[in-house]
Amino acid sequence: MVELSTPVKWLLRAVALGYVFMLVAWPVALIVQQTFADGLTTLSDTLADPYVANALRLTAVIAFWAVVINVVFGVTISILLVRFEFPGKRLLSALIDVPLSVSPVVVGLALLLVYNGRTGWFGPTLESLGYQVIFNGPGMIMATCFVALPLVIREVVPVLTEIGDDQEQAARSLGANARQTFLRITLPSIKWAVVYGLVLSLARSLGEFGAVKIVSGNFTGLTQTATLVVEQKYQNFEQEAAYATSFILAAASVLCIVVVSLLRPKESHS
Amino acid sequence: MSIEVRGVTKTFGDFVALDNVSVSLPRGQLTALLGPSGGGKSTLLRIIAGLDTADSGSIEIEGVDATRLPAQKRNVGFVFQHYAVFKHLTVARNVAFGLEIRKRSKREVAERVDELLSLVHLSQFAHRLPAQLSGGQRQRMALARALAVEPSVLLLDEPFGALDAKVRKELRDWLRRLHDEVHVTTVFVTHDQEEAMEVADEIVVINDGRIEQVGTPDQLYDEPANDFVMGFLGEVTTLGTVKIRPHDIAVSPTPGLAGAIRGTVDRMLRVGFEVRLNVHTDQGQDVTVRVTRAQARSLGLVEGSEVWLTPAPVGLHAVLVSSMAGATPVPPTP
Repeated sequence: MVELSTPVKWLLRAVALGYVFMLVAWPVALIVQQTFADGLTTLSDTLADPYVANALRLTAVIAFWAVVINVVFGVTISILLVRFEFPGKRLLSALIDVPLSVSPVVVGLALLLVYNGRTGWFGPTLESLGYQVIFNGPGMIMATCFVALPLVIREVVPVLTEIGDDQEQAARSLGANARQTFLRITLPSIKWAVVYGLVLSLARSLGEFGAVKIVSGNFTGLTQTATLVVEQKYQNFEQEAAYATSFILAAASVLCIVVVSLLRPKESHS
Repeated sequence: MSIEVRGVTKTFGDFVALDNVSVSLPRGQLTALLGPSGGGKSTLLRIIAGLDTADSGSIEIEGVDATRLPAQKRNVGFVFQHYAVFKHLTVARNVAFGLEIRKRSKREVAERVDELLSLVHLSQFAHRLPAQLSGGQRQRMALARALAVEPSVLLLDEPFGALDAKVRKELRDWLRRLHDEVHVTTVFVTHDQEEAMEVADEIVVINDGRIEQVGTPDQLYDEPANDFVMGFLGEVTTLGTVKIRPHDIAVSPTPGLAGAIRGTVDRMLRVGFEVRLNVHTDQGQDVTVRVTRAQARSLGLVEGSEVWLTPAPVGLHAVLVSSMAGATPVPPTP
């Protein structure tokens, strides 16, 4: 630990706190304040709006599937990256970070180009088989998966690397097959990394806007998610409804993080 | 024979870890694979266990061709240098792992775990997590875990390598006694010749991916097949044209014996009960000699003393170094 003089210490604290306050705490607090400015009326009125209720339900469904798919693929890809050698491994590892660096709007457009029902690569074929991807649930889930793709992997890969494969080899030598080794040894060892990745993915999925806006078509009451409702309400001068919906989205994310930090044991290396 | 290794070759890139190795390890014995780091001994052990695959050659365990069997079907117990404990399971659950995989009844598992934990003296730690155990205790737990499945062979990869000297010594004695009780065919890898000589019934010396010699500790020490084995099993120095162990050189203050080589003591270093001399001979050779403290004192050796060195004849040698228990003379090979 570096010893700092008292004034420097206080200055650093003030800068850090001020920064977080101005950027995060104050704006979010204002949302809460606006939502509850007249007690619970705004909140209950907003929830009674069928379009808002539908959008929240849609967001929940999309976030649920995106998180499930992301966790399954995230853990699989992490094990592939850490435990196996194959040509193209570094390329795969680099590709996984693309969603972090590419704007979600670009992601939405890219999906549109591949899957749209008239001119897309895959779209017409899928549509003739009866699957509509774009302007429908599957496209929105895909877009959400894409933007949240790295979150599970970047949590799990370091933990897998750190624990090494000694325990897995020991399990093998004791007679466990691949499935038993994964369920009994690998999964318990990376449990908390997976949970963290899951929560981050969930928070990211609830809040996704750009990619979903493009692939959903933003049809009110049909393919409109909570974030899209917030934008529409705000632009239609229904600020209260916009604030209340925002509050619900923010509260859900904060709740996830609080629950996990309460559940997580003190000693994280379990 | 319990384990038959035939013509095993293994390369990593252009590094040859094992070069056409064949060896038979007898049933019920405690065998050491001894050699310098990177010599291929751990690779051989891992290939026997099925944790690595050989490029060519075959492995037979208890009469069954295991070359293509995956590790989980070979019924071998494996103990890792860094314990490889299951961190999220208690000591008892660690030991029970192999039995639970084999779907044994709860009662049977509990009984067997109790039995094994008392065998490795860890009964009172059954409900602790491995993180609460010392290194030596963890390795004993790993051993109990490997023994739980009643393996046909027990393989240990530098099992005491990560432990401090005192614990290593204790565990070494304990492993020997355990083997005398359990009698499972055991193979352990070590780079410590003292450990191998103390514990093993038979030693396989491996260097550069090849087997240099197989034999009992006494055979290897007394009749080393080549310079490498002689050098690896103990210190070697050159006196005249003869390669000899430093404690097999007789030191005399007078030119008593014919053929004695004259020199002066360059350096003297006392380590515990023995004194290491560096003698610079008149022919310009530097010879390392080891004598006991008592000898050094009775000969009145100091740095700069003039001495005459002769390879100790077996009879005379026994008298000269009687205080060095266990050291057997090597007849000088011309």
